[in-house]
Amino acid sequence: MTTHPALEVTGLTRTYGDGPNAVHALAGVDLAFAPGSFTAVMGPSGSGKSTFLNCAAGLERPSAGRVLVDGRDVTEDDEDARTRLRRERLGFVFQGFHLLPYLTAEQNVGLPLRLAGRRSDRARVRGLLERVGLADRAHHLPTALSGGQQQRVAIARALVTEPAVLLADEPTGALDTITAHEVLALLRDSVDTLGQTVVMVTHDPVAAAYADTVVFLVDGRVAGRMDGPTADAVAGQLAHLDQLTRVVAS
Amino acid sequence: MTGLAWASLRHRVTANASTFVSVLLGAALIGAFATLAQTGAGEVSADDAETLRIMGIVVGGWGSAIVLFSVASTLGITVRQRAEEVGLLRVVGATPRQVRRLVLAEAAVVTGVAAVLGALVAWPAGFVLLALLRNGGMVSDTVEYGGGPAALAVTVVLVVLTGLLAAAVTARRTTGGPATLAIAEARSGAGRMRWWRVLIGLLLVGYGVAMAVVTITVTAHDSDPYAAMSTSGSSSILVGIGLATLSPLLLRWLSSACAPAVGRTGVVGWLAAWNTSRRPHLLGAVLAPVIVLTAGAAGVLMLVGIDHRTIGAGHPEGDTINLLNNLVTGMIVVFAAVVVVNAFAAVVAGRRAELQRLRLLGATPTQVERSVLAEAGIVAGIGVLLGLVASLATVVPFAVARDEGVVPDGQLWLPVLVAVATVALTLVAARSAVRRLGPLTGAVR
Ligand SMILES: Nc1ncnc2c1ncn2[C@@H]1O[C@H](COP(=O)(O)OP(=O)(O)OP(=O)(O)O)[C@@H](O)[C@H]1O
Ligand SMILES: [Mg+2]
Repeated sequence: MTTHPALEVTGLTRTYGDGPNAVHALAGVDLAFAPGSFTAVMGPSGSGKSTFLNCAAGLERPSAGRVLVDGRDVTEDDEDARTRLRRERLGFVFQGFHLLPYLTAEQNVGLPLRLAGRRSDRARVRGLLERVGLADRAHHLPTALSGGQQQRVAIARALVTEPAVLLADEPTGALDTITAHEVLALLRDSVDTLGQTVVMVTHDPVAAAYADTVVFLVDGRVAGRMDGPTADAVAGQLAHLDQLTRVVAS
Repeated sequence: MTGLAWASLRHRVTANASTFVSVLLGAALIGAFATLAQTGAGEVSADDAETLRIMGIVVGGWGSAIVLFSVASTLGITVRQRAEEVGLLRVVGATPRQVRRLVLAEAAVVTGVAAVLGALVAWPAGFVLLALLRNGGMVSDTVEYGGGPAALAVTVVLVVLTGLLAAAVTARRTTGGPATLAIAEARSGAGRMRWWRVLIGLLLVGYGVAMAVVTITVTAHDSDPYAAMSTSGSSSILVGIGLATLSPLLLRWLSSACAPAVGRTGVVGWLAAWNTSRRPHLLGAVLAPVIVLTAGAAGVLMLVGIDHRTIGAGHPEGDTINLLNNLVTGMIVVFAAVVVVNAFAAVVAGRRAELQRLRLLGATPTQVERSVLAEAGIVAGIGVLLGLVASLATVVPFAVARDEGVVPDGQLWLPVLVAVATVALTLVAARSAVRRLGPLTGAVR
């Protein structure tokens, strides 16, 4: 039996504008993420990290290259198919939490199931809230939750459909170090105990150290990778990359 | 501060365009009747002066009440929508006072320009109105149009002051409290209603009901058959505006009551039910004009019908009075309809980010559109129900006064027609508001 990567991109290219003003946000990225792996994507600001996530999620169409989710090529999918892909095979966690303000924590977590036309599975939703440590906050509205708690609700919501990949764009960007640790430990735990595949964009070497692998992007290209990262090693590599970019820019 | 106001004006085109249209139309309506009052104050016979004064002040006065209410509620939406931005400005160090000045500057620009343009429309509109009165023989042919700068200036001042007052009240609400709290409130869109607003609403409803009682007990027995009409004719509008003032409160109660049932219809109804009941201020702004539209149209049209069946057709004053009534109704209907459409456009435009979030989570464009339509359905249903209840304040006492009994003898299809038309209008308004947003997917950064 062959196992496909949970997410795979080949020759992924995304260009904004054309002519001399064209911005090559992604310039041919080849990456594969094995099921149950936790990968951090790092790189200087503007290196194409968010663009990569957006293309993988079908929110942006790549200019060239392919995106495969669970071995299925989704590059040419129409908008309907992309929508189905998002709600069935992908989970999202963003810096800005993205909860619906008029739904309680429990209702927010169950929302993707309802959107997919399934009944909100109470036991499953409760189980996830318990997993993220918010069982006692199930009936609170987002405004009554702290930033870290809101992000934990967002993680529970991303996990509820058992997605092939959980995509996270700077999930701890708006959180303090202690709260960030809780959120990262939660992502790590979902990989270890649920076999969840996680791809996380981050600026923070400490956050990246929670991952199995770090991939470095520079100017829309993969500029290196590091297995079994530590915060110090990642920070050192980043400083080096920064130097690289400055040389390229001058 | 003014530069910032300009920039933010351009940023919120839809919401500001809605305010602009409401104010312009409102100023045109009030101004047209104000020119009649001014004409009446000129060199005309005592009879003509009386007719013009009644037209200008009574009819115009009623129109003004509705128009000003609508302007206030539309401006309320725009200012409320800025709560999140206000919170941000507060966090980066703007004082509540600075923020209020920004909000007021923006409101002043929009209402000022719109009111002046509306007054320019009012001038010829008043001319046409007077010509209609002359042709209908309601004033003598010798009456010359006397509308001028005075009437128009009063109109502009009145409209702009109302707008600024509404903006100031809402701005005070959104800027008060510590900076972080401002953001939290913005996200919830909930919040309590102020006591004075509840009081005003209750007083209006109470006054309308009292007038209804007076009609049945006193004016029904008056020798002048139109005495009953003068006490009951405006009751439906009064009670309607009173209920509209209480709209966030009523929406929360009533939509919470029907939320479980609507929620069982599927994810679309489920989202709509929670949105309306947990953020009643948001859609309360749409509910208000729906109530006034239904109450005014059903109440006054039934009134005219009852009068026509009983004595109106044979009475010398009947035609004049019913022309006036129809004029008022027409005015209310057109205006309230415009406000419903505008209010929906403004509310939906302000929710773009939230609807986008739904798409991101895997809602199809159809699901998003239907959830907004379901909200519109809930609002329309509740609004029509409340509006019809309000219309009873006119219909029942007048029917009793004219010996038709509690239930009028005819035209019972009329309220049904008004209800169906209002619901249809609300749904169409919602649909066009969502469609105007364009595609909701795209990169998230
Ligand atoms: N809509 C757009 N039009 C033009 N250029 C764009 C657009 N979106 C992104 N870019 C450019 O593409 C490049 C990559 O952007 P991206 O958001 O992926 O960077 P990032 O690595 O996520 O940066 P950050 O760490 O600051 O979030 C940047 O140079 C950006 O300016
Ligand atoms: Mg980014």
